[in-house]
Amino acid sequence: MSTVNGGNVRKGMFVLHHNEPHQVISHEFVSPGKGSAFTRVKLRNVLTSKMMDFTYKTTEQVELAEVETRELQYIYQEGNNFVFMNPRTYDQVEVSGEVMGSDRNFLKEEMTCHVQFYNDQPIGIFLPKKVTLEVTEAEEAVAGDRVTAPKKQAKLETGATIAVPIFVKTGDKVVIDTSTGEYVSRNN
Amino acid sequence: MSSHQFNFPVLKQRAVIVQAIRDFFRRSGFWEAETPQLVPLPSMEPYLEVFETQLLDQNRQPTRAFLISSPEYAMKQMLAAGSGNIFQITKSFRNAEGVSPRHNPEFSILEWYRVGADYLQIMDDCEQLLKSIAKTIHPDQQPILEYQGEIYNLTEPWERITVSQAFKKYAQIDQKILLTTPKLLAASKERGYQVNEQTTWEEVYNQIFLNEIEPNLGKTKPTIIYEYPVSQAALSKKKKSDPRFAERFEFYINGLELGNAFSELTDWQEQLNRLKEDQQEKAKTGRTLFDIDYNFINALKSGLPECAGIAVGVDRLVMLFTDQPSIQETLAFPATHLWPELIK
Repeated sequence: MSTVNGGNVRKGMFVLHHNEPHQVISHEFVSPGKGSAFTRVKLRNVLTSKMMDFTYKTTEQVELAEVETRELQYIYQEGNNFVFMNPRTYDQVEVSGEVMGSDRNFLKEEMTCHVQFYNDQPIGIFLPKKVTLEVTEAEEAVAGDRVTAPKKQAKLETGATIAVPIFVKTGDKVVIDTSTGEYVSRNN
Repeated sequence: MSSHQFNFPVLKQRAVIVQAIRDFFRRSGFWEAETPQLVPLPSMEPYLEVFETQLLDQNRQPTRAFLISSPEYAMKQMLAAGSGNIFQITKSFRNAEGVSPRHNPEFSILEWYRVGADYLQIMDDCEQLLKSIAKTIHPDQQPILEYQGEIYNLTEPWERITVSQAFKKYAQIDQKILLTTPKLLAASKERGYQVNEQTTWEEVYNQIFLNEIEPNLGKTKPTIIYEYPVSQAALSKKKKSDPRFAERFEFYINGLELGNAFSELTDWQEQLNRLKEDQQEKAKTGRTLFDIDYNFINALKSGLPECAGIAVGVDRLVMLFTDQPSIQETLAFPATHLWPELIK
């Protein structure tokens, strides 16, 4: 069983808390008036989605949940679930909307993603670091906007709306950084 | 720097709150001291890491220099020299604490010291100060705070509970267990916390406090939690009637600590001993080391009047009164914007 020091627990990690796997949603340093340091975390139970707060001593050993990562291809959405396929075995896997989170904004059919599993259950997902998506609707930029609003809103083929530079037009392809959800460049 | 959205309504409200704090203290017979942020020796707080820089002379010969983690030592030197009641709002700096909804490496701190007073009068000051801020923002309303959908009544008296009572009430641990190391370690293990031969009383005390007590403090009105075990109060006086506890309090709203107060330690010898212990602790934990500030000790030697004081996080107060989820939202240039890579 691998462990991590309480002081090194970080957002995104999967830890075992009371023997159940939890994803660390946020972490924060805490040092009470006079006292050694602690790490306060928000945990999401990946089996029940229940959220909880916990504070670790920085010196304690925190058990990590053993998580396996598989490369899967997104095929379609079914209700609140997202269906992925293993391109070699053609096995299908459903990832819940809860696990997908805001990543759904940039998810496109046939995109290859890294899906994390605990005991064969999908508990986390990583999209490619950068994705290219088509702009389906971009506001007309008005002259004079440049001073107050160097960016404007644009709608992407996935339905998400993001801020883009004013030169971006409907039909352009734009590169998005999926970790921040921000526009990177135009790629026509 | 990428284009940056300033939240001017919040920033303007911040200015109103800071002005309300200054007005409150002027009306209450305090004057605002101004002490340096760049100093040759910072406070010896054993678990805080400092920002160190260099001061160069005309020949570019370097001398060590630090940013303050609090203005306390300088203000106490003024008190010892006869300043009378003083307050200050200044920037302070703490390193290696990360950036989070409750922490920014540079933050605004409010400190005030009342001469001839003890911590009980500082409790009253806190009640009046928050009420006064609320009244400035909403002159025709009852003094309430609306934060993230909850309402907190700021009218005095606030809830007051001792640390011992809180351990009993929220963790079913009574005072005898709380103050006995092996008993508290055993109780902690029984509650499911990790305990081994290296675990200290201080660690389990704080872990239980943070997990089981703190979330219950300041639920519908602010809570003042007071009388800390004496080891948890480096700069405070012991309680005369029970020297196992110190005259320290903190106040909370919605589980968030807003201020930390003491009846100030005036015994220079005791203070010097504690600073030496704290210096040892810094060495043990690999933090930046520096000398004891003898200007501070000498000021205590010359006679610090009986007084009580408190440090309050101004950014946290602004966050509450502007109903923002994070202190970062109350700053024009939060560290999350200046160093976006820090939050990845």
